Amino acid sequence: MVIYMLSDDKDIIVELSGITKYFPGVLALDKVDLNVRKGEVLALLGENGAGKSTLMRILYGMYRADEGKIKINGKVVNIESPKDAMQLGIGMIHQHFTLVPVHSVVENIVLGTITDQQRSFSIGETAKEIENLGETYGLKVDPRATVNQLPVEMQQRVEILKALYRGAKVLIMDEPTAVLTPQSTEMLFNFIRDFRRAGNSVIFISHKLNEVLEIADRIVVLRSGRVVGEMPREKATEQELARMMVGHELSGIKLKAENNVTLGKKEPVLRIENLKVKGSLGHWAVDSLQLEIYAGEIHGIAGVSGNGQDELAEALYGLRLVSEGSIFLKDLSLLNEQTRNIIDQGVGYIPADRHKEGLVLDMSVEENLVLKGFDVSPFSRKGILQENSIRRYATEVIESYAIKTPTPDTHVRYLSGGNQQKIVIAREIAVAKFLLIAVQPTRGLDIASTEYVHQSLLRARDEGKGVLLISTELSEILSLSDRISVIYRGRVLKTIDRRDVNIDEIGLLMMGVTTQQ
Amino acid sequence: MRNYRHILLTFFPVYSVIVGLFLSGIMMLFLGENPLVVYRDILLFAFRDIYNIADIFAKAVPLIFTGLAFGFAYRASLFNIGAQGQFYMGCLASVSCSLYLSFLPKPLLLSICLLSSLVLGGSWGSLIGYAKARFNANEFLLSLMSTYVAIAVMNFLIRGPLIESKGEYPQTDVIAQSAWIPQLISHTRLHIGLVLALLIAAMAYFILWKTTLGFKIRAVGMNRNAARFAGIDEKKIFITVFFISGAFAGLAGFTEVNGIQHMLVQGFNPLIGTEGIGIAILGNAHPFGIVLSALLFGALKVGGALAVQVSNISSSFLGIMEGFVMLSVIISYFIRQRIMIALEKKRLQEESKVENQ
Repeated sequence: MVIYMLSDDKDIIVELSGITKYFPGVLALDKVDLNVRKGEVLALLGENGAGKSTLMRILYGMYRADEGKIKINGKVVNIESPKDAMQLGIGMIHQHFTLVPVHSVVENIVLGTITDQQRSFSIGETAKEIENLGETYGLKVDPRATVNQLPVEMQQRVEILKALYRGAKVLIMDEPTAVLTPQSTEMLFNFIRDFRRAGNSVIFISHKLNEVLEIADRIVVLRSGRVVGEMPREKATEQELARMMVGHELSGIKLKAENNVTLGKKEPVLRIENLKVKGSLGHWAVDSLQLEIYAGEIHGIAGVSGNGQDELAEALYGLRLVSEGSIFLKDLSLLNEQTRNIIDQGVGYIPADRHKEGLVLDMSVEENLVLKGFDVSPFSRKGILQENSIRRYATEVIESYAIKTPTPDTHVRYLSGGNQQKIVIAREIAVAKFLLIAVQPTRGLDIASTEYVHQSLLRARDEGKGVLLISTELSEILSLSDRISVIYRGRVLKTIDRRDVNIDEIGLLMMGVTTQQ
Repeated sequence: MRNYRHILLTFFPVYSVIVGLFLSGIMMLFLGENPLVVYRDILLFAFRDIYNIADIFAKAVPLIFTGLAFGFAYRASLFNIGAQGQFYMGCLASVSCSLYLSFLPKPLLLSICLLSSLVLGGSWGSLIGYAKARFNANEFLLSLMSTYVAIAVMNFLIRGPLIESKGEYPQTDVIAQSAWIPQLISHTRLHIGLVLALLIAAMAYFILWKTTLGFKIRAVGMNRNAARFAGIDEKKIFITVFFISGAFAGLAGFTEVNGIQHMLVQGFNPLIGTEGIGIAILGNAHPFGIVLSALLFGALKVGGALAVQVSNISSSFLGIMEGFVMLSVIISYFIRQRIMIALEKKRLQEESKVENQ
């Protein structure tokens, strides 16, 4: 552990001590101590699930800590809601904005600030106030514009103004640059500098090392709910930060099976060229992405979540519109094809959320097993379901995949998570003649079920299928992939053979650092 | 235990009928009537003679259709509140064919009337499905509003081109005998439309649970996202479901015009769509449940109509009673939903407890 002690304590405005938070099944935060000083930008670094957002939500009153104390200006406080937090001068800019889209900027900003005692209220005066506030900090925005007509970076400004209007002295920003272009990022950073100069503080949550090194005064690294490092910016290096975030444990991870021998043939089953896909916020979630998947390999996509993985997977399956580029399954273009046709071409898809995307919980086990094949022979003939064929097939699959269910017509809702995922796996492997896309295939599963999923993916690979494994669990990627591509801001920064992998390099690439020193 | 709870919840709407009757019973007490006597009278009158019993079935026929209209769309998680309008479209199609094609032989004429009401009701409905598929419009509001448009269309036609030869009242001429649906039991109002209603209910069941179309409808209804990931085109389903749903309601127009009224009067059967919603909820959106609850409502209508004639209760009270029952059935739907969610939450909590141990 690398802790640089900082001596002066007189300027501390926020002091979190011994914060512990338990969610069913996980210890999200384990006795975390964190101080924020007046006039500093504190960067909070960490992988997905490290506990950054949880910690900040506790400070902002959205969660309550199970243990620990919060002091503001040296006084112990009890923050029960965001309203309490705002009264104490703490504001938070969420990753997903909390604006009312059809209301004007002024209306959004004053929302919730008008008390019952206040008899009259002038939109015009408030609009002036907001304009003045915006001018002070270089955050110009038309107070009378309707929010849903503003571009993303403007909406973010409104969020910031909202916090400032409420008198925020400490501003928490949860990955504020995720949706911004480089130019808007620069403008945001200018604001942060101005804001700090006025004696205020910013807690800046990010995955991006270069940004952190540019803007932060002090950096705190979280991993698995603990503070694993703290240092002033001058002493921080990219390598050291990346290593702290990812941890040393991962370098010990071995492949679960030997690299596939057929890889030598290098027969691409999927070719993606120059792919551009828009995200739901209108930014380029996938940006000129290149990727090639060979038959008989597991190709891992490593990356911090929100770097275009979901959009890439959805675009490949015809669920999201591709703006530019090409996708070829062998010689066949899958570009903006209907999902039905992509399925028929032999592409399976294990979605990230089995409840929402993978299964119809109120349909039976057998119906879910044929969810993608019910309308072809032998499961139906001339539009009539062939119940006997379906039953026969389901019984077979239930046995070969050891799915624990009372009967084939039990609703999937009543099965355990592991058995539900087995249904998805069984169905998708049957569909995937050539390519299997697996997005977070072990999320929320216990150890035995995770192992089962991993073995199934390896088996699919050994049968000569190409497997695209998208996961934010680096350990999963490392233990299964034959090759690894690191995705950052919608681009593949580098594709590396598993045998040549250097964990530090992967860690740096995930944070967007490409130059290896 | 779970199954036991499940069965209790399945019959949940039935309890709400009892609650509705209980509440209207309290109202009767305020009016100085003994509710037990009134309910006894209703029961006695409803089953007094073959004519009344047959009338229960006759009253149930259109309710089966509008109940199926709501229930079928509901299986796809779509709300078709506009069965009333689709019913009027069916009425218009059927009465126009009956009036203008009366020279045709009876079987052919009736088939044409049936088909035309089915097609016009279905097309009227599929417009809603199309708007939802194309513009992501809210089908609840659209179907609700489409009824008012249908009423306006009907009023225009009945006061204009379709008005009776005397030109006095806003109604059509009586249609020719050749367009009348044959009676099932002579000297009663029960006609062969009942057989049609039962066949259509069986067909709805068959479509939903035995065909690939039904599979898609149920998958879209229970998890639209997963259906999308499975390559099911939800937009086509919206349009198809609304066509079928509207066609069911349209058929009620055929049986009412050609089987009961033998003409079309302005503002005719104005509650049939709303009643269909309650009936579908009471019948758990299952075709067979819908048939049974339509019969229950038929019995209340027939028995009630006669009971008010012998007691001091005004006939408008019948409407109040029906309203109470309908209201509590619809409210029961939301209460049931809440109980289901609460049970599901409890189950998940118990499960995670077990997993953590």
